[in-house]
Amino acid sequence: MTLWNRLRSWVQAILRRSRMESEMDAELRFHIEAYAGDLIRSGALRSEAMRRARMEFGGIEQAKEECRDARGVHLLDSLLQDLRYGLRMVRKSPGFTAVAVLALTLGIGANTAIFSLIDVILLRPLPVRDSDHVVVLRWGAHKQPHAHGYGDFGFCHINGDGTERMGCSFPYPFFEQLSSQAGIFSSVTAFAGSPGLHLDRGGNRTRVNSPLVSGQFFETLGVRAALGRMLQPSDDVPSAAPVTVLNYGYWQGEFGADPSIVGKTLYLDRIPVTIIGVAEPNFAELSPGHTWDMWLPLTLYSRLNLHWSEGLNDNASWWLTIVGRLKPGVSLAQAQTAVSLFFRNEMLHGAQPLSKEEDDPRISLLPVQKGIVGNRWLYQKPFYILMIAVGIVLLIACSNVGGLMLARTASRQKEIAVRLALGAGRARIMRQLLTESVLLSVAGGVIGIFVAYWSLAALRSSDWLGSIHDFAVKPDARILIFTVLVSVLAGILPGLAPAFRGTRLDLTPTLKENAPTLPNISHHGRRFSIGGVLVVAQVTLSILVLAGAGLLVRTLVNLKSIDPGFDTRDLLLVGIDLKNNEYSEQQAQNLYRELQSRFSSLPGVTNVSYSSDVLLSGSLWNGDTNLEGRKERVTRNILSVGPRFFDTMRIPLIAGRTFTQADFGSKHKITIVNQAFVRRYLENRGPLGLHLAGSKEDPGEEIIGVVGDTKYDDLKKGIEPTAYVPLKGGRVNFELRTAAIPEALIPAARSIVRELDSHLPSPDFKSQTEQIDRSLFRERLVAHLSSFFGLLALALACLGLYGLLSYEVSRRTREIGIRAAMGAQQRDVFRLVVGHGVVLVIVGAVVGTAGALGLTRYLQSLLYGVRPTDPITFVAVGLLLSLVSLAACYLPARRAMRVDPMVALRYE
Amino acid sequence: MDKQLDVLQGTLDMLILKAVSLGPLHGYGILLRIQQISKDRLEIQQGSLYPALYRLEHQGWITSEWGESANNRKAKYYRLTAAGKHRLQSEAEKWNRMADVIAGILGTTPEEV
Repeated sequence: MTLWNRLRSWVQAILRRSRMESEMDAELRFHIEAYAGDLIRSGALRSEAMRRARMEFGGIEQAKEECRDARGVHLLDSLLQDLRYGLRMVRKSPGFTAVAVLALTLGIGANTAIFSLIDVILLRPLPVRDSDHVVVLRWGAHKQPHAHGYGDFGFCHINGDGTERMGCSFPYPFFEQLSSQAGIFSSVTAFAGSPGLHLDRGGNRTRVNSPLVSGQFFETLGVRAALGRMLQPSDDVPSAAPVTVLNYGYWQGEFGADPSIVGKTLYLDRIPVTIIGVAEPNFAELSPGHTWDMWLPLTLYSRLNLHWSEGLNDNASWWLTIVGRLKPGVSLAQAQTAVSLFFRNEMLHGAQPLSKEEDDPRISLLPVQKGIVGNRWLYQKPFYILMIAVGIVLLIACSNVGGLMLARTASRQKEIAVRLALGAGRARIMRQLLTESVLLSVAGGVIGIFVAYWSLAALRSSDWLGSIHDFAVKPDARILIFTVLVSVLAGILPGLAPAFRGTRLDLTPTLKENAPTLPNISHHGRRFSIGGVLVVAQVTLSILVLAGAGLLVRTLVNLKSIDPGFDTRDLLLVGIDLKNNEYSEQQAQNLYRELQSRFSSLPGVTNVSYSSDVLLSGSLWNGDTNLEGRKERVTRNILSVGPRFFDTMRIPLIAGRTFTQADFGSKHKITIVNQAFVRRYLENRGPLGLHLAGSKEDPGEEIIGVVGDTKYDDLKKGIEPTAYVPLKGGRVNFELRTAAIPEALIPAARSIVRELDSHLPSPDFKSQTEQIDRSLFRERLVAHLSSFFGLLALALACLGLYGLLSYEVSRRTREIGIRAAMGAQQRDVFRLVVGHGVVLVIVGAVVGTAGALGLTRYLQSLLYGVRPTDPITFVAVGLLLSLVSLAACYLPARRAMRVDPMVALRYE
Repeated sequence: MDKQLDVLQGTLDMLILKAVSLGPLHGYGILLRIQQISKDRLEIQQGSLYPALYRLEHQGWITSEWGESANNRKAKYYRLTAAGKHRLQSEAEKWNRMADVIAGILGTTPEEV
């Protein structure tokens, strides 16, 4: 409270300076006059009284000054003075200012940019009211409970430790049972991801992100309506008319924030859905990376013809995420015990037991902020690594500016000595020097914020940020506070060394000496002056960043040079979302065939095929089944493909034949397996003619061919046994092998699709290389950004080296002149300067390399095909450093060689 | 009359707090009040009074407002705040303890050692 008081009175004193002065005058005058009045009353003469009163009061001006001091007014005065003086110094040496501000701008800007990404992706709280009381359910067991199907939509990320199975998906009947349990949750909700519906509007069909949520979703999360009302349990019953709640941003973007939207009807894949409300603006996404357009009631599931579960009432289909809000007064531990007991009971003794006593099925309740992580976990490690990298860059920038300031303070020794001699306090001069460096860093910080947002915006408008696109990066209070703190730190750090060093002076010789520079200022040991130590530190730090960046770049190169088993170049992918409920199998087949032949006739297209999924896109279909002549079940990846798929993709046929057009109409089930399948499951047996997935009534799929191995969903994964089957319907991706640039065909391909069937959703085009780039976007991002920061670190370190050597050369001009006059060759002078620099670089490189060798193992999980101590990377980093640092030494050395002994000596 | 004593270093603040604790006073009034209750045995440098007032106000122990003096002139009156009251209490306690200790030390006779 008194602190507040002081602050208030200080601010008042500053802001109402003139008022304070006049009040002070009035008060003192009153005092003196009152005293004089008393003197007169006790018999003094009127003329005498005033004089005596004034005299006895003492120094009026001194009293006033002490009053001002008591209010802290002088603090501001001297600060303003420091600022004025600092600005003058900054203006006087524009070169120094520009370099220092540039270094700090880059350092602070990089930190702000990366911190903004971290802030928005990792730190921003979920848009859930009282999120402390909201929990997400996670099951755990020694063995996975029985499941007909198990899937999740990436809301939570489970790190299984191998022996324990756990997950966040539950069957619908379990959710129903749980919601009828009173006493634990005040409300509980279940939800799934988006079924990928299309909005029919004005002849266009656009895909919408519309998760299915149970009736109490908004109530549980505490989300209110901006317009209309939110979903209620009565909307979420099978007999209710379908309704939807729109996301605020989607309502603004797609419907122009139409205020009369409530009550209107939308058509989602021909299902009429009534809009009942718009959610409040801050609720755009529950977990990072999942932006939602609208929410649909869960029971709509049964009308959507999806295959996520065997019907809502199947208690062995695990597909729903469950979130509950704890009843007031119920602790997390109590709730966890109760829910766990309930789950165990259901699993062991329910209508259909799914788990065994010894598997110990149980539930953990995770706070929603920790449990619903979405894509966050993907970015956690790379972003913290990048944050460390930019932190190091900032340190280098700081020590750089510190070195520059040190050199400047050294040349300002005399000025400082004069001020000290005239009675300035040491603290006052230190404050002056710190004010100067803070001034520089504030300038750097302000420009840095702009640089950060400008570069983030540039990154966003390119496709560089990949799925981070979906994260809205906007400055908030936390980012600004961060930047301010970083700027202040970046102002104080570089100012410290000069402030301490510069003010510790022996006044007499400094003032006496007439030479502009003094040999003994910054030197204790010649090689390890503070400036030298700063340069060593910069080289050390830049090696750390460069080594990490080198490893990440090597990882990206390794990933890109992986042979996926098919030809990824010149391949255009056309994705078309065909709905099962709109196209029968026969219609779909006809459409595929027609599109295939029309695409084939496009000029520049050499081959066309199609498949259910795109290779290397992250989507994967797999399952286990039985194989003729083998007791154990076999696991294989499955891909449905069209005719000529292997030709188009350039996957070699090893044995047997590939699919022909006739196979797609026939009832006879056939499959083609890859070599890995044969290696894993068919030792020394001929694969052709064997049957897969057979049963007593059905012989299953006959193996008619063997093809070469390919990667399926992810470049980084190994080759897995894979079986190809004919694609009979549903979502399809065409692959167009082209002779020209694949993207050039997009307009023609688009009009073909529209001509053929105007009702089809607009297709999604990309080239296979773009698809791979997208799948590697995280690696790309971290490799590119870290190498950018690595080079920045190197450039700053070399700038520091250059600055130090230039300063030394100019300081030692006289010495060099004497040496030259005494017969030193240019070569000797060159060696003198470069030698000094090389020693610094070598010391820094050795320390840095040792540090990097110890630290890069923390990158392990981000690396592919390269060891953390990869010799090639370290040698390359060393070479790069030597080249650049030699250039930094060469320039000052050349200047030293050109020193004319006559000029240098006459200088005296 | 006894010779006047100079105010001990650091005790002026306490005396001012005490003076205004008896009722709002202007600066000159505080001076008079202290002299009156000390029966003129304390001498206060007039010039040092105002910096002390400003300091106390800055710290929030006292607060001021403009009012009318006895002879109808505008004067700045100081009043004790709640925080100042606590402050005065603790200062007085500290002072009394100190005075006891000092008196005890000074009153020591050779036999007691």
